[in-house]
Amino acid sequence: MKFNSWFVSSFLISLIVLIPVITVFASFFEATSNYYEILKNTFLIEYIFNSLTLLLSVLLLTFMIGTGTAYLVSFYEFPGSNFFKWALILSFAVPPYIYAYSLTAFFENYGTAFTILKNLFGEANYNKNIPKFDGMFGAILSISFSLYAYVYILARASFLYQSQNLIDLGKNLGFSRFKSFFKVILPAARPAIVAGLSLVAMETLAEFGAVDFFSINTLTTGIYNSWIYFDDLAFANRISFFLLLFIFSLFILENLSRRRAKYHFNSKGGFKQKEKIKLFGIEAYLAFGFCFFIFFVSFLFPLSQMLYWTIKFPENLFDLKITNLILNTLYLVLLSSLVLIIFSLISNYGNRVSNNKTLNFLSTLSISGYAIPGVILAIAFITFIAWFDDSIIKSFGFSSIKKIFIGSVFGLVLVYFIRFYSLAFNGIKSGYEKMNISVDESAYLLGYSKRKTFTNIHLPFLRNSLLFIIILISLEIIRELPITLILRPFNFETLATTAYISASEDLLEAAAVPSLFLILIASLFIIVTSKYILRENHE
Amino acid sequence: MSNNFFEIKNVDFKIGNKVKVKNVSFSIENEGDIICLLGPSGIGKTTILRTIAGLENINKGSIALKGKTLSSEKINIEPENRNISLAFQENSLFPHYSIKKNILLGAERNEIKKSKSINFEELIDLLDISQILDKFPHEISAGEAQRASLARSLITQPDLLLLDEPLSNVDQSFKEEIQEKLKKVLKNSKTTTIIVTHDSYEAFYLGSKCGIILNQELKQFDDPYNVYHLPNSEEVVNFLNRGILIPAEVTSPKSLENKDLGTITGNFVKPFPIGSNVKLLIQPEDLHHDDGSNLKFEVIDRKFRGTNFIYTLKTPTNTLIPVFVHSHHIHQHEVDEKFGIKRPIHIDHIVCF
Repeated sequence: MKFNSWFVSSFLISLIVLIPVITVFASFFEATSNYYEILKNTFLIEYIFNSLTLLLSVLLLTFMIGTGTAYLVSFYEFPGSNFFKWALILSFAVPPYIYAYSLTAFFENYGTAFTILKNLFGEANYNKNIPKFDGMFGAILSISFSLYAYVYILARASFLYQSQNLIDLGKNLGFSRFKSFFKVILPAARPAIVAGLSLVAMETLAEFGAVDFFSINTLTTGIYNSWIYFDDLAFANRISFFLLLFIFSLFILENLSRRRAKYHFNSKGGFKQKEKIKLFGIEAYLAFGFCFFIFFVSFLFPLSQMLYWTIKFPENLFDLKITNLILNTLYLVLLSSLVLIIFSLISNYGNRVSNNKTLNFLSTLSISGYAIPGVILAIAFITFIAWFDDSIIKSFGFSSIKKIFIGSVFGLVLVYFIRFYSLAFNGIKSGYEKMNISVDESAYLLGYSKRKTFTNIHLPFLRNSLLFIIILISLEIIRELPITLILRPFNFETLATTAYISASEDLLEAAAVPSLFLILIASLFIIVTSKYILRENHE
Repeated sequence: MSNNFFEIKNVDFKIGNKVKVKNVSFSIENEGDIICLLGPSGIGKTTILRTIAGLENINKGSIALKGKTLSSEKINIEPENRNISLAFQENSLFPHYSIKKNILLGAERNEIKKSKSINFEELIDLLDISQILDKFPHEISAGEAQRASLARSLITQPDLLLLDEPLSNVDQSFKEEIQEKLKKVLKNSKTTTIIVTHDSYEAFYLGSKCGIILNQELKQFDDPYNVYHLPNSEEVVNFLNRGILIPAEVTSPKSLENKDLGTITGNFVKPFPIGSNVKLLIQPEDLHHDDGSNLKFEVIDRKFRGTNFIYTLKTPTNTLIPVFVHSHHIHQHEVDEKFGIKRPIHIDHIVCF
């Protein structure tokens, strides 16, 4: 085994990312307060039940929306089909918590729906006739409309790569369009859809903002509450342990599905690009209607709601110092992207040049950070720093280091790093995978040093991948809530935290301004990258 | 220290900890010589080239170029400092550069060294790649990529050029033409070259010497004529698949006796004691057709090879013997017919094991 500098740096990066997981597992056996005993006999069952109800309902809804829309835009041509194929991913710009604010704002007593009805039909008591989308149902809708794009993107990619031969085969066997979908198209795309659903499942279990807003007690809010209200880190870690076990099984499932999904993309031999079927008349209207409904409900609706309130209460624009919020958000985005890109490049390059099995294994473990809910990461990080400070630093007589890591931009960026490392690492890795190792060797044989190979060959080749990864990371960080909420410095607010704080203080109108800007910035990032997200260049 | 231009001494070639070819020694005497390494797929030929290029290490023996040790147990000069160029079998072009830029990157290396002068236009013409210069690697065929890669390696004007199956993806119709041009440009530029191939005809044509690698060993390293006509082991005979071994008894210093063919005379390449039982190599060219002969065997197969036919004859002891006949021969024999062999049988060089 070669212990060169690449190995050491990659090893250290992997270790940092693994710290929270190790901390959660180590804390499982620690003593906790009485709260654990009380909770074990009372709320724990409710937490698990709520988490499961939420999970299953969101999976069902995202499957139907994601697969349905992906099928329509991949196989048929109808008015707006080219627009919808990328517009449908704009729902990513609306985090579940902002969707939850919009739902409540629109349907609550004397809310936007009430105002619209009053303006249209005059004064009356409309409140009793306006449905209420709150509680568990509201949370399910908010999460589903925000996350269905995971299923949409992966299902669409899989549908897109289904060869015409496969479709022709169905026709040849005399299948109807309906039967073809269920017997040929859907089974062939199954691994991709399962991969998309696994991502939705992980995000749903990790979801904090929306469920907290609707006061649903899930395992994630349980972790947050046991730390915030009962100051019981050990118990928070204990619930985290259960949640992690569950999430890791999903993570493994997702990885397995993704591996199998690859076969559907590598259909080079005999691949025949399929022609889209043109829809006419009522069929065209139905297809348009369905896609427009989803686009409207998932994106236009929350955007208009937030825009409406921003215009209605313009004073919030000034009260909230929106420029500061945007700058703070972008500051975190820039700093984190830079750190993530640099370290992921080091790690990937280290793996490539050293080709060490131990290092490859460590890298695989370290990308698990993305599967861990932000709440758990933040709390495990605090637990670790507290332990490290008390047991190691203070025992050597040094002054406390807690301030450096907790409640500081440094600590925040470090935990973002752990959470989003897999995005950056995998993005660069898949870029590198497109370049055969013999390309490096050719460069050496042309007299290029390792450094020159990296700067003259690798970096220009990876340029597009890097841009895409930066935007993907930015999108995640702009929307991120629990880590920022727990670890941000005092008086340092971002668009997401301000929206959350205003909403939790029942000031939804004030939450609208940061939410609107958050949606706009995220949409901009999505539009820029939609070509990559949709694998458009392969179409 | 020897005066050889390039020398490999007792090297075990390995990938990781797995030894692919053991205890290899051979040398290239003069600058500009071309040698070929021949062997079945997966035997370790590519590993040998990668090690010579410095992409793999050795822990036994030594590799030296122009009197300077490149690799040994203690020395390992980095690939970029060897001035050795390797054209990989698979596409190793830089994916984000055009074919032209890819080739010109190779030219950057030896800008100062103009003496051998392989120029860009000459190479483009030689390898017939003018029409793909502005394309990117993903836009061209495997054969074109291989030729572009070859051009990039040639233009670097290295001290030693290593070609890994350089024409494996090139169309058959185009192959001979490229082989001729390649040989010409290598000779004109005095580029010392090691070519790895599994195509024996390619090796015999291009190489002034051929090495046969079988069962983890370099079995024979000799000029192509000797490798073909005077193989030094049964394994080489079987690998080249250009003849069969039949049982015979040595009856005098210049003759043998076989049950089916009778007496065979000729010069033994290696002497055997009279009375010893040996395996005699019969190659298609060793026997001659004669309709008037009373030594007749049944035709069980006939392969048309353009310039010739190869008949497979079955003897009374069920031995299958190949016989070469020019394709313009006055008449041909069908399967199941009888086919006469000219007697007495005389073979210039008798190879026995």
